[in-house]
Amino acid sequence: MKCEEAKLLLADYWAQTLRDQDEMELEAHFATCPACREETVRLESMWKGLAALPPEEPDSKMRSRFYESLGAYRLGAESRAKKWWPLSPALQIAASFAILALGLAGGYALRTDNTSDQVAQLREEVTGMRQLVALSLLQQQSASERLRGVGYAFRAEPSNTEVLAALVSAINNDASVNVRLAAVDALHTFSGSPSTRQAVMEALPKQNVPLVQVALIDLLVDFKDRQARPELRRLASDESVNDGVKQRALWALETLQ
Amino acid sequence: MKKLIATTFLAAMAAGSLRAQDQTKVAFPNPGQPRKLVVDSMMGSVTVRGYDGQEVIIETSGGRSPARKRTSEPPPGMHRIGSNGGDVNITTQDNTIRINGNILSGPANMTIQVPVQTSVTVKTLSGKELLIENINGEIEANNMNGNVQIVNVSGSVVAHSMNGKVTASLNTVMPDKAMSFSSFNGDVDVTLPGGVKANVKLKTDRGDMFTDFDIKLDPTSPPTVTADKNAKKTRVRSDRSTTGSINGGGPEIQFTSYNGDIVIHKK
Repeated sequence: MKCEEAKLLLADYWAQTLRDQDEMELEAHFATCPACREETVRLESMWKGLAALPPEEPDSKMRSRFYESLGAYRLGAESRAKKWWPLSPALQIAASFAILALGLAGGYALRTDNTSDQVAQLREEVTGMRQLVALSLLQQQSASERLRGVGYAFRAEPSNTEVLAALVSAINNDASVNVRLAAVDALHTFSGSPSTRQAVMEALPKQNVPLVQVALIDLLVDFKDRQARPELRRLASDESVNDGVKQRALWALETLQ
Repeated sequence: MKKLIATTFLAAMAAGSLRAQDQTKVAFPNPGQPRKLVVDSMMGSVTVRGYDGQEVIIETSGGRSPARKRTSEPPPGMHRIGSNGGDVNITTQDNTIRINGNILSGPANMTIQVPVQTSVTVKTLSGKELLIENINGEIEANNMNGNVQIVNVSGSVVAHSMNGKVTASLNTVMPDKAMSFSSFNGDVDVTLPGGVKANVKLKTDRGDMFTDFDIKLDPTSPPTVTADKNAKKTRVRSDRSTTGSINGGGPEIQFTSYNGDIVIHKK
C-alpha cells in the first residue's frame, strides 16, 4: 500500500468503519512506514478533539430556519424528477468531506500547539459555520454555486467583515458577470456600515463591466453617499466608459445633489 | 475527502492541437463521473450540442489563412517546441475537457458535440452567436458582443451578454440551483417550465418586463403593475429591482438588463 492510499483510508480507520481487510493492510503499512504512523497518531488526537467539541446550541432563529428549509425541501421533493435524486445528497456528502478536510488541515497546521488551544480555535470556527458556507460557496467553480453563496451572504451578520470582503472580491474579480451583479445586490444588506460605502467607492473605478458599473452607481445612490460624487463625475467624463454608464452617473450626480 | 484528494493527486494531463477544417475527438477519462466542458474562444461563433455518444467531437472552420498554414517536419533527431499554433488547444484534466481558441489563427467557428449529460461553460469575446442546445447539466455562457442562445436544455443556466440578446429555454430546472440571466444592451428572453418554483428578481432600466407566469410580488418591491390584456401578459415596471415568487418560491433566479426588455415565458 502506498502512503497516498493509506491517507484515503484514515478517516474510516478512526471512525472504525473500515473493512477488516483494509484495516489489516493499513496497519501493515504503518509497520513499514514510520512517517505515516507518526502522522496518524498526531491527527488522531485532533480527530478525537473534534468529537469532544460541545454541540452548538440551536437558537430560536435556527429552529425556524430549519423548519423553513424542511418545508421547502418537502415542496421540492414532490416535484423533483427522479434523475435528480442522487445529485443533491452526493453534493452534500462532498461538502461535508470538504469541511472535514478543512478541519483536518487546520488541525494539522496547528499540530505543535496543545490540544485545548486547537479545540478552542475549532469551536470558534464551528460558530462561524454559516459564514463559512457562504465563503466556501463563493470559492466554488460553478457559477450557480457561487450565486448560492451570495444568497447565504445575504443572511450573514451585516457586521461580518469577512463576508463583506468576499462579496467585494466577487464584485471585483468573479469570472461571471451574473455573480458580480448578485454580489452588488447583496451589499444592500450591508448598507449601514461605513466600511461598505468605502468598499463600494473603491470597487467602482476598478469595474469594467457596464452592467455591474450601473449596479454599483445605483447602490451609491441608494446609500445617499454624497462622497461618491467626485468618482461619479470622473466616470461621466471618461471617454472609455460606456455611454449608458455615463448617463447613469450623470443621473446619480443629479439625484445626490 | 476522497473526492478532494483524488482531484488534487490524480490530475491527468493530456494535450493536443488541431488545424483548420479539422475534426478531433476527445474522450472523457471517466465516462461514469460528472463531465465538464470548458470553452474559451476569442473570435468566431461557438455551438455546443448534446448528442447520443460518449466522446467530445470538435469541428473548426474558417481558421487561419492557407498562406500561413504551413507545417514543417522536424529535422532528424529533433522535436517541435510547443504546438505549431493550431486553431484550438485541447487539454484534459480530471474529467474536464478545456478547449481554448487560438487568437493568432483569427476568427474560427467551432462546433462541439458532447454527451447530453455534461456541464458546459463557454466564454467568447466576439463570437457572433453562442448556441448551446440539447444539454442536461450546469450551463454557464458569456458572449461579450454577440447573442447567447440556449435551447432545449435541463439543469441550471447562468448567462450573460454585453451587447447581444440572451435567450434561454429550459425543459426542467434543477431544484436547488440558483440561476441568472443578464444583458446590458440586449433583451433577456427566458422560458421556464410551468411548475418551476423560484424567487425571482427582475430589473431593467430602459426596457419593459413581461411574463405570463403568475408572479407573486413581494410587498416591499415598489413596482406599478398594469394588466395589458391585448398581449395576455402582465406588464411590470419599476426603477428598482422587482422581487417576487413563482409557485410558492424556491431558489433565486435573477433577470437583469439595462437597455433591453425582460420576457419570462411559461413553457
